[in-house]
Amino acid sequence: MALRVFGLNLVKTNRSVLQNVCKTGATPTQQTVAPYATEVTVQASPAAVQKQKVSKAMKAYLKRANEHDEFMKTQHLEFQIGKRHLANMMGADPETFTQQDIDEAIEYLFPSGLFDKKARPAMKSPDEVFPARKAAEFDETGRPFHSMFYTGNPNFFQLLHDIVQETNKIHELEERLLRRGNTPDENQKLDTTGFQLMPKDQLELLLVESIADIEYSNFVNSMERLIALPYAYKSKEFIERFLKPLMDQSKQLEIPKPRIDEQGRQYITTYECLRKTARADVTVRMPGTGKISINGQDIFYFPEEKCREQLLFPLQFSQMLGKVDIEANVEGGGPSGQSGAIRWGIAMSLRSFVDQEMIESMRLAGLLTRDYRIRERKKFGQEGARRKYTWKKR
Amino acid sequence: MSWSKNISINTWRCGRLMSMYPQHYVDPIYKMEDQCSKRTELLRLSHIPIKGALNNSSDTIFNGEIKQKMVNYITKNGEGFLSRKLMAQTLEMIKRTQLEGSYISPGYNKTETDAESLLIQAVENCRPLLQLSSIKRGGVKYHVPIPLTNKKSYFLAMKWLLDASREKDRKVSLPEKLAWEILDAAHGHGRVIKKKEELSRQCESNRAYAHYRWS
Repeated sequence: MALRVFGLNLVKTNRSVLQNVCKTGATPTQQTVAPYATEVTVQASPAAVQKQKVSKAMKAYLKRANEHDEFMKTQHLEFQIGKRHLANMMGADPETFTQQDIDEAIEYLFPSGLFDKKARPAMKSPDEVFPARKAAEFDETGRPFHSMFYTGNPNFFQLLHDIVQETNKIHELEERLLRRGNTPDENQKLDTTGFQLMPKDQLELLLVESIADIEYSNFVNSMERLIALPYAYKSKEFIERFLKPLMDQSKQLEIPKPRIDEQGRQYITTYECLRKTARADVTVRMPGTGKISINGQDIFYFPEEKCREQLLFPLQFSQMLGKVDIEANVEGGGPSGQSGAIRWGIAMSLRSFVDQEMIESMRLAGLLTRDYRIRERKKFGQEGARRKYTWKKR
Repeated sequence: MSWSKNISINTWRCGRLMSMYPQHYVDPIYKMEDQCSKRTELLRLSHIPIKGALNNSSDTIFNGEIKQKMVNYITKNGEGFLSRKLMAQTLEMIKRTQLEGSYISPGYNKTETDAESLLIQAVENCRPLLQLSSIKRGGVKYHVPIPLTNKKSYFLAMKWLLDASREKDRKVSLPEKLAWEILDAAHGHGRVIKKKEELSRQCESNRAYAHYRWS
């Protein structure tokens, strides 16, 4: 990864190492670590090349690299000094002052009411603030290393090229095996459920290149074509480099452990149950007899049948009706919002008392989704939020 | 109003203050039976976020799809409470009439007394298959029969039932008239059925123009 740093110092000190890399890593895709990040850096100048004329582009690059390196050096120095000052101010040991301590100190010393987190004062390592740049892509004579240099995005097009190569390889294999009368192995079939192709921003980080939306969709299409092939499992290793595992939705939130009250019953309290402008906190006690109390009243706190039905929906769905007691405090909003808030609270609390399969069922029934939709505002020049006034040309 | 302030802060924290779900959210499946029958399909859904259950949904026998739609169509000016009351009265009226009928004629025990299935039967009977739409060809307007989608035909059936029951004396209430219309339609006669037959007859007579739909 050291190659990614845009610094001549590094290049000078690791001259021999880099030379080896240049020799061995002629095809950049064969490198194990971050294959598309960098290909080749500035070739250290052997005597033979030194006599050759250095191209203008190379000169400019070297100058820029030097400048950047100097700049980063001073930035690092300043950061270290600032960190020590901060540590002294906070009365901590400057040697063991971590980035988290810095953030806390800044938040304490410069309290900011600004909404956007990016606009608030911050102190970070210069490596984070100034992103890594590509190393030189051409040698002293100005000749680019990569054959696709003039496409502008050599790493991206190399990637597309590799995908097509893999596809062709599999096609050939298929034909060969077909002639022999073999069929693809059903058991080994590539299963990508639970996986997602790398999103655009991550791919950009991997390639150190900014790609357009249409280019990303080209990547997605060619990858999907490769994955759909019957013998795709033959190039599983290649495909898996661009797949990202998806989290199970119902396992994303941690299920709280029930606590014990003075009567020896288990209970869970869910705070901040929100729906529309209503807000509730719900306590579910197990074992119970199915008592429901809302703001001190029973279920007839809601005069409407529909709202009462909503309260019972999660209980009835998970077959816990009559097995738990429910207490809820609710304020704000109308009956529909209030009942929705309590329903969500009950469903979230019930997770601690039912098994994993039922939790997944409840999620599929939409009981565990926080309904964050809010009334959309009316716009001027329009009849409502979306509807326009009737307009006739003549 | 301390709570309102808290809420607004909280919605900001979520970072999503909007009136719709994002596109990749999937509709929920309320019924446990449906979930059990689609086990294998649901494995795919385990990684996809689900929309929240609507506030008129539940996994009970009292939650019929057509009943729900009918309530929505009765509603005017967002008065859902009133329309649900009217629907309940209608179903009660149907039940009463049917029970009375079955008591009066003791030998005739096969009378359907389930109000909701009668409603479904009525809607099914009123569903049109074709609709006339006027298409201009060579300066002349032609009435061209076009096939309807399922959703649209259900909508038209329910709308006709409602329209028929809204044309009434002031002294008659909507649930009363709607109950009559539903009972009539469920038994295959009445104004709505006539309207549907009239439409299909017109479509039949205009069948010569059907090719204008695509040429």
